[in-house]
Amino acid sequence: MQRINLRISASAWQRLRKHCARSFRGQRDTEYGVIGVLGKRTVGGEIRELVVADILWPQPGDVLAKPRSALTFSSRYVRRAHLAIRKDGLTGLITFHTHPLADEEVGFSWYDDEQDPLLIENLQELWPGTLLSSVVLGERAQCGRIWRSPAEQIALGTLVGVGERVQHLPLDGRPPDPPPAPSEIFDRALALTGQGALATLGSYTVAVVGASGTGSLICELLARAGCRSILVIDHDVVKVINLNRILYSTSEDAWLRRPKAEVLKRGIENLGLGCSVVPIVGSILDENVMRRLNEAEMVFGCVDKDYPRMLLCKYAYQHLIPYIDVGAEIGGDDEGIVSTDARVNYVAAGRWCLRCTGLVDARRLAFESLTTIERARKIALGYSDDLLLEQPAVMDLNMRAASAGMMLLRHLLQPFLLEPVPVTLAENLVTYSMKPVPSARCQDEKCDICRVNPQAGFGDCGEPIGLSAEVAAELHAEGD
Amino acid sequence: MQIARAKSEIEQLAAGGMGVELVIEGAQPFALVGGVGAPVPPWDRADYDILVAIPVAYDLGTPLDGFYISLPYRYENGEHNRVNGQAVSIRQRQWRAVSWHYPDGNEFRRGVDNIESHIVHCRGFFLARGAVNAKN
Repeated sequence: MQRINLRISASAWQRLRKHCARSFRGQRDTEYGVIGVLGKRTVGGEIRELVVADILWPQPGDVLAKPRSALTFSSRYVRRAHLAIRKDGLTGLITFHTHPLADEEVGFSWYDDEQDPLLIENLQELWPGTLLSSVVLGERAQCGRIWRSPAEQIALGTLVGVGERVQHLPLDGRPPDPPPAPSEIFDRALALTGQGALATLGSYTVAVVGASGTGSLICELLARAGCRSILVIDHDVVKVINLNRILYSTSEDAWLRRPKAEVLKRGIENLGLGCSVVPIVGSILDENVMRRLNEAEMVFGCVDKDYPRMLLCKYAYQHLIPYIDVGAEIGGDDEGIVSTDARVNYVAAGRWCLRCTGLVDARRLAFESLTTIERARKIALGYSDDLLLEQPAVMDLNMRAASAGMMLLRHLLQPFLLEPVPVTLAENLVTYSMKPVPSARCQDEKCDICRVNPQAGFGDCGEPIGLSAEVAAELHAEGD
Repeated sequence: MQIARAKSEIEQLAAGGMGVELVIEGAQPFALVGGVGAPVPPWDRADYDILVAIPVAYDLGTPLDGFYISLPYRYENGEHNRVNGQAVSIRQRQWRAVSWHYPDGNEFRRGVDNIESHIVHCRGFFLARGAVNAKN
């Protein structure tokens, strides 16, 4: 059975570790702890990951701790967490506490084993179905478990911290095992992506949304980097005009109008690199398709529309999933071409969304989210000409963007780029320049997507993201 | 998540006494606003119904823009130069689009403007006020 992971924003994890660090200084005799509330990510009705939606930082009197004595959370503190769970429809409560003398190894004490079942029993009496997770922290290790009932506990797998980097920490109370030796296929890439990061990438399912020029290149790069599982999402079929840029597409595919996602599955799996591809032929605007992203640990957006981009942003914050958006733009004026940009944006907890970045244009978003008929009326009025421009589809340029996106993924798993990663990384080939954009052009400190999102970390406990299949069919869908 | 915010805003406006309802034509949501006042003359009626198209991404902060006026209408015994396009049938009634946009520098503001403020903006069309380009 697949282990359940625990997902948390990197900033919350750092603050939690800082809060608890006092436990490991001086006499090392006092426990520290906090309570958090949990969302969840499910696949096929089964919990795949728990997501820390919020940490309720203790107020005076919330945590009762004395030197050389076990910590107790006050009933008022537990009640506060429980009310938060019920108010927001969350899945459960998580406790973190330290064992001051533990260093590289840590485990639950007999006291923890005695108290956790009592707590879950109380919680479930008040609200049936509530989960309890508990994590005990040593100075350099952590151990986690879930209680489904007072009699049923399950060990947690890995803690995934998402932010400027993506950090993976084992929750078995021990230092990480040495990663398995990689296949010789990847030997020459180990300088950039070491064994540990390679093993992580190999354990990931990466979702690629959009299976045209850029999306097909991302799939290829993922497979050749050691990713073993790709989810490709695209509603469209191969057409003759796509043959200049979709890897593995043939004129026969265009003739038979084969779905792009299925063509990619054929091409990537035939490489023999051990990478399997699950094709999903559907629109990412469709909430049923969007829910399939729960099978993935990371998302690449290779679409040329703003509406899917914003939905993917919403998903990234609600599920604490790293989302890399890649694209290419050719800018021109009366004099000719002035820019050919290959662009990468990284969206994750603590970072700006694409609306604040300025990449998503509100007017375009509004236009794209009208039905086909209403959009046609707008077009007829002549006020939307600028919104109808086709995005460039030049494979050479797509390759620059795909390459930068893949390098960013490698960096997230094993950092080597300058940090912090810029809001936008754009390469203008006309001027031979790589431009890191350090600040968000349209930043809004009250942004309800990336700053004060009331459902950040809720996962599936938040509102469904996307549209009904019928409404999605009425709108533009993804594809570049 | 589809237009939950729009639905909630319209319900609140209706509860407050405004003649507004959410209508869906095909998959396209509209706010149908009744009894928008107009001076007679130059208009031929003291009030009109209007329709505001709501993008399904409204909950993600999309702006609203323009509206439809119910037909028939007369303005100074003729046509208003901002009523454009072909007549369209929505909810078994005839409507025409009104190019009543927000002026540059005073656009629909995310997080500040909403359906109510847009309706106020639309009223300005009948009163010939509220937008820099109103007299164009």
